[in-house]
Amino acid sequence: MTTDDFLNYPPEEKNQLQLERLQSTLNRAYRQVNFHRQRMNAAGIEPGQVEALADLTKLPFMERADFNEHYPYELFAVPLRDIVRIHTAPGTSRNPTVSGYTAQDLGMWRRITARAMSAASVSDHDILQIAFNQGLANWGRDYKDSAEDMGVSVIPNTLLSIDKHFMVLRDYKTTVLVTTPALARQLADYMHKMQVGPAALNLHTIIIAGETIPDDFRKAIEARAFVSCWLHYGLSEVPGPAIAFECDTHNGLHISEDHFLAEIIDPETQALLPAGNAGELVLTTLTTRAFPLIRFRTGDRARVITEPCACGRSLARIEWLAGRTDDVMKVDGVTIHGRQVRTILEDMLPVASGQVTSRVRDDNGRKLLEIVLPMNDEIFSDEIKELEKLLRKAENRLREDLGVAVAIRLIEPTRPGGD
Amino acid sequence: MLRIRNLKCFYGQIMAVKGISLSVKEGEIITLIGANGAGKSTLMEAVSGILPDWTGEIFFKEKSLKGMDPPAVVKSGISLVPEGRMIFPSLNVYENLALGAYILLRKKAKDDVAEALETVTELFPILKERFRQPAGTLSGGEQQMLAIGRALMAKPRLLLLEPSMGLAPMLVEKILGVLETLRGKGLTILLVEQNARAALTVADRGYVFETGSVVLEGSADELLADTNVKRAYLGKDYEEFDDDNR
Repeated sequence: MTTDDFLNYPPEEKNQLQLERLQSTLNRAYRQVNFHRQRMNAAGIEPGQVEALADLTKLPFMERADFNEHYPYELFAVPLRDIVRIHTAPGTSRNPTVSGYTAQDLGMWRRITARAMSAASVSDHDILQIAFNQGLANWGRDYKDSAEDMGVSVIPNTLLSIDKHFMVLRDYKTTVLVTTPALARQLADYMHKMQVGPAALNLHTIIIAGETIPDDFRKAIEARAFVSCWLHYGLSEVPGPAIAFECDTHNGLHISEDHFLAEIIDPETQALLPAGNAGELVLTTLTTRAFPLIRFRTGDRARVITEPCACGRSLARIEWLAGRTDDVMKVDGVTIHGRQVRTILEDMLPVASGQVTSRVRDDNGRKLLEIVLPMNDEIFSDEIKELEKLLRKAENRLREDLGVAVAIRLIEPTRPGGD
Repeated sequence: MLRIRNLKCFYGQIMAVKGISLSVKEGEIITLIGANGAGKSTLMEAVSGILPDWTGEIFFKEKSLKGMDPPAVVKSGISLVPEGRMIFPSLNVYENLALGAYILLRKKAKDDVAEALETVTELFPILKERFRQPAGTLSGGEQQMLAIGRALMAKPRLLLLEPSMGLAPMLVEKILGVLETLRGKGLTILLVEQNARAALTVADRGYVFETGSVVLEGSADELLADTNVKRAYLGKDYEEFDDDNR
């Protein structure tokens, strides 16, 4: 039986399958992970009391800070030797986020990602090129494995300049590109600048992952690169890239509801919002073995689209909205926590964390994390070389920990008001 | 076809099944896996009406089984082959089979009985040879066949099957082969079998039970490949997991 029978399940059957999977996920989490057991006990609830999908609201939320606190393996729900892949992503403070996958998990991800790519009409006739930054390397692997399973010819993820990317696209006759909005933009602008015509490339599809895109952005890319764009939603830390995906109506993203339950909450009150309201997306995994998420607050903003989709898929749809509900920046799809940036800087430089500001900067189409620091006496050195060295060292460390490009800028200190 | 939600079963104060949801679709073979006392047999008893003390929902063909006694459940199209066979040793094979057709005989559906008997003797020719022999004199494997045959005499749509422990591997294989034949004839089967690996090779999907709860469900292929399931339930022939005991 293929997993995609699920796309045509009647509501009653879909509900039954989700309930069965939710209950077994909760039973596994409760029995095998201290963290989940203690929190359910503290909330006065046992898995057996979750008798309907709506009962999910009785359970406590999980946040990114929990990954940090239970670093590295405490949230795993299987013995370590059942884990076949360990993946690191930027964390919320000193520790990175570590997630694990069993062989079944990886198989499941291949199918989830394949479903999303099939919806974008990717087939074994395609040549698929993957272009992610280092921080999304794991997604690169998921897309690669999944596309290979589908019989697609894959050009795996490699860090290249835009010229090289273009060369590969042209010479290797790539038909599908999987990348982030920033790189898609860079490529479209490059093609526009070089006056590349529609016949120059075989490229017909760009799958965009990592960040949501506004309509005019999509239109600009489609017009300049002569492609159709398909948006995929995923989580860069855990568990993977294609949790929700566009179908050919390009109107919202379908959630793979046989693997994930989605809720939309008010990020302030944490109350469940009525269907159709915009709020924070909360996800619960239904099939994950190694690293179950129970009511995980993604920090992403979304809205559930209640109308059925013209494509006929019974999967619920979300509109992925711009912006965050937390102290997080998306740098080319990679989730970066302000707190982690400040913690690392405090380790490296004599600076109080309250003085650090960071933002995402567009550097000729390339996204980088810009950190602005007020100059102070401890940082200041007569030797400009020493100062440079110190800053480069901090940049390198940040780049290594975060997996994105980083630039530190020093500014004149501002005098405290009333002084 | 069968849809169970939040089933809790009680023996007095003891909750043996602690909120289980599972479903069986028409034409599927579903197997329940788990250690003794995990709640598999209890669930079968609740579905078949033997154990009345349960809460939650059991729906068969969109009709609730709540409050039905065993004859009513059989009448609705569900037959149980209980653990331990429970044949009548002093009655002969034919009489045992006829008892299974009790409801059809009461309805005077003679043609149906004849058809069911033909199906059973086709599946288990040995039973026909032993028609006049007291059931108690049959071998263990033959008694098992008789128990299944008797359940089939009611012409069920859903067969709840719990072959006895301690059957020879060859017999287990034979019985599993029979299940595939029955599925081919349109029967739906819920199977509890101690030999989880054998059961998973014929099943479409499975549920793993642990102390009254389902901790895992999935396609039979997924469960067969699952390292945790292998370690816990797929038997000692998985020598690569010996390091568990170190």
